[in-house]
Amino acid sequence: MKWWIVGAVVIVAAAIVPTFLDPTGYAIRVLTLALLFAALGQAWNIVGGLANQISLGHAAFFGLGAYTSTILLINFGLSPWIGMLAGAAIAAVAAYLLSFPTMKLRGHYFALATLAFSEVLRVIAGSWTSVTGGPVGLSVPFSPDSFWLLQFKSTMPYYYIMLGALVVISGVFVWVRHSSLGYRLRALKENPEAAEVVGVNTTQVKITAAVISAALTATLGTLYAQFTYFFDPEAVFGIIPISVRAAIIAILGGAGTVVGPIIGAFLIVPMEEMANVLLSSRGAGLSQLAFGVMLIAIILIEPRGILALITNGVSRLRRRKSS
Amino acid sequence: MAFIQAVLDGLMIGGVYAVISIGLTLVFGVMGIVNFAQAEFLTLGMFVAYFAWKFLGLDPLIGSFLSFAVIFALGVVVQMTLIQRVLNAPPVAQIFVTVGLLIVIENLTLITFGSDFHSVTTSYQTSTLRIGPLFIGVPYLAAFLMALLSAAALWLFTNKTWYGRAMRATAQDPMAANLMGINADRMRQIAFGLGVGMTAFGGAVILPYFTVHPTVGHQFVVLMFTVVVLGGLGSVAGAVVGGFAVGVIQSVSTLFFPIQLQNLVLFIVFLTVLAVRPTGLIGASR
Repeated sequence: MKWWIVGAVVIVAAAIVPTFLDPTGYAIRVLTLALLFAALGQAWNIVGGLANQISLGHAAFFGLGAYTSTILLINFGLSPWIGMLAGAAIAAVAAYLLSFPTMKLRGHYFALATLAFSEVLRVIAGSWTSVTGGPVGLSVPFSPDSFWLLQFKSTMPYYYIMLGALVVISGVFVWVRHSSLGYRLRALKENPEAAEVVGVNTTQVKITAAVISAALTATLGTLYAQFTYFFDPEAVFGIIPISVRAAIIAILGGAGTVVGPIIGAFLIVPMEEMANVLLSSRGAGLSQLAFGVMLIAIILIEPRGILALITNGVSRLRRRKSS
Repeated sequence: MAFIQAVLDGLMIGGVYAVISIGLTLVFGVMGIVNFAQAEFLTLGMFVAYFAWKFLGLDPLIGSFLSFAVIFALGVVVQMTLIQRVLNAPPVAQIFVTVGLLIVIENLTLITFGSDFHSVTTSYQTSTLRIGPLFIGVPYLAAFLMALLSAAALWLFTNKTWYGRAMRATAQDPMAANLMGINADRMRQIAFGLGVGMTAFGGAVILPYFTVHPTVGHQFVVLMFTVVVLGGLGSVAGAVVGGFAVGVIQSVSTLFFPIQLQNLVLFIVFLTVLAVRPTGLIGASR
């Protein structure tokens, strides 16, 4: 039960932090984004970490969430909270349908197929101008400080909403991992053929994980849209900004672990933001460059991520002390 | 007539798609790795040819050989330093090493060359050949012929030279190849160098009718994957057929759909093929 207490302490600490920060300042904005992307990495982790299905197309679901809630808000004045549920439902259906062509695919092939799927949606969002605004994108109508419309002048409420999202999604992750679904996923991950032989319906298990992950990812798309007020197809359906980033955040920290995506996000997001500020115009390229170098370095040094690197180091130290 | 013209246009560009994609399929065939950064080598090839034109006055069709040589060398280095280390790693490591490489190359070019668009001017840029009622742009025809030339050269290399045979032996069974006195690591370096070099060559020959910028590769990523998946990952002959098929599909689809949806048709073909026969529709089994 120790991890349970640690988790509670971390959440309480995270809830206290913003009281020391300027509620409209830059620091809290960076932290809010880090929480959002930690949650995104965690949602990816359900498929990528637990089922070992390397998705390079999670932007598909993220974008579906952002577009669904925003289109409903613009055209029907519907609350993003309801739009969020609608987006999650659409993403779940999309993930279910996508599983038909992809359920037999593994490794590189699965990555390719998911990547192509998100590209399909990006192209549609870019060309269906009457609904999606085309390449220009969509703006969330401005009506600040309404909980119902999920808009606030200060960054503080968003911070708590993202924190809530991260806690909920991490909770789902832990629940999935310790449920019977989680054990089936682990069997599938270790050896799909053996899992099939002992009676695990691998197809159904994969689909269930994919649908849960997609629905959660879509809710984050809605939150992202409400937080940034504006997005275009590349921002929410992009391969590098969303799909790859979600995967990297989980892998960098440690895929398949609950703290992995949190470590990854709190390393990458502040680093990128800092580079953007310090280096202004060239910052985008440089911070992305650092992002790529870090990814390659961690894969070559320890593909299981920073968490494994730390635990390995600690156990090595202990061994040295005891001997 | 519009249909025949579209097919002709599709074949012209399809030849180039074939050469661009041969590199991807070659790397997969020899190492079992999908190089997600393949399109970035196309960008680099275009930049080499562009600078060869700008500073040395070389026509891109000549500069394409320089592109091939430079990117071949770069490919050997990348293979030695990065890809070699993940050959036996789980897919997740293999995928993200090349994804990381993609991000690194794209942003290095962005930082080094800026985000401007560059294009070359050649004497034949706007010339057109007329065959009865049909038209062929000269730059398209030139790129097509260069593509055929390089594909033929690759075929000769892999089938008629010792190195080529050794490379194919490594693809089939690295252990057995090693026992026959073939340095499998060296063969993989040649394969990766050739793979990215071919793609760079393909990028260079389209420079007369294509502008180059650091993210130009994006337009080719899914396209290349579609070509090789159509032809069967790892099959060079399949990539040639797949290249023509994709060129024609893309070109003919513009007759029925708005041009923005050109790639959408491709993606749907891609997903369908993956679902029905992940090992490829046309390619011979390896």
